[in-house]
Amino acid sequence: MSTYVYAITDATHPVRLDGLRGVGDPPSPLRTVRTGTLTAVVSDAPPGLRAKRRDVMAHQNVLESLMADGATLPMRFGLLGPDDERVADVLDREEQAYRQRLAELDGHVEYHLKAGRDEEDMLRAVLADSEQARELNERTRDGSGTHEDRVALGELVSREVVARGEREAEEIVTRLDGSATRSTVSGVGGNHFLNASFLVPAERTDAFVQAVQAEADRCGNAYDFTLTGPLPPYSFV
Amino acid sequence: MTLVQQSNATTGGSGSGNLYDVLELILDRGLVIDAFVRVSLVGIEILKIDVRVVVASVDTYLRFAEACNRLDLESGRKAPTQLTDIVGEMTESGAKGKSKGALSGAVEAFTDTLQGKRDESEEEAGKRPARKSTAGRQTARKREE
Repeated sequence: MSTYVYAITDATHPVRLDGLRGVGDPPSPLRTVRTGTLTAVVSDAPPGLRAKRRDVMAHQNVLESLMADGATLPMRFGLLGPDDERVADVLDREEQAYRQRLAELDGHVEYHLKAGRDEEDMLRAVLADSEQARELNERTRDGSGTHEDRVALGELVSREVVARGEREAEEIVTRLDGSATRSTVSGVGGNHFLNASFLVPAERTDAFVQAVQAEADRCGNAYDFTLTGPLPPYSFV
Repeated sequence: MTLVQQSNATTGGSGSGNLYDVLELILDRGLVIDAFVRVSLVGIEILKIDVRVVVASVDTYLRFAEACNRLDLESGRKAPTQLTDIVGEMTESGAKGKSKGALSGAVEAFTDTLQGKRDESEEEAGKRPARKSTAGRQTARKREE
């Protein structure tokens, strides 16, 4: 049976697994694979495992619990090794890299921030700033204007929406970087113009949350900020 | 402004409500070991790819144009009634995304400012998360997987 890997910690981490459940139904019991300097938290991999809500939650809960007791490298959901021996082989082979990353992440947590702006509010702003967009909008209102006019309006507006989003995202991340050790920005989609993760020293999370709150206040009611954390440092391993 | 902070580790486990927001982190980040395999995530990883594609399509342009056309730039102007169907569809499809409570506060505040300016088709529009765009709907739906 393959071995599901949850996390890697330093050998000195207490690794308290009591009360924690692994993936699968019924939940697989958790165990450790230990080398001289590192510990991997693993379980048997249930056959037919998929990214079901229950299993993703189990994965996340194990990591959050380990994170509370010391530096933890969170594995991506669903990582399967052939057996415990091969996991130990990897710990030996990658020992230096893993220990270095654990040292870098020690005392840090991840916060994830998404921000979006009310679409109508944003469109109003775009129209207010672009005479060309206003003209095209007037021409195509009430079903008048050509198909080309409508596409031209949409293209212009959509380009402007993306540009504004990128600009605002950069400004927000730049200001928040002052309260974080590192940050990483990833692709946006849907109604979000900002999708970023921040690595924050555990003792300075209050200041970081306040900085995010200040950004949200500055942006105003038409914006939504969703901050999630503290999380295992998924984005910084 | 809406700011939701979910503090997980300190409360001994995350509530199911925040899984949605961190799903992409759990499924798509985190450490991997090259020689090891991963369980199949068919139908899940797609969500982040097609959002990008949709942004630069004629369909998206037309949707933006329609959204601009129906903006109440001058008070008293009525939204074109032929848009009701589109709005209705967005309400239905976007409903799953509403479990994300973070949106509701700002949406309600925004709806308030429109009271009395629109006909009843706006009733439904106000209920949808205001920024559920076409791309957003796909995200919401696929994340249900």
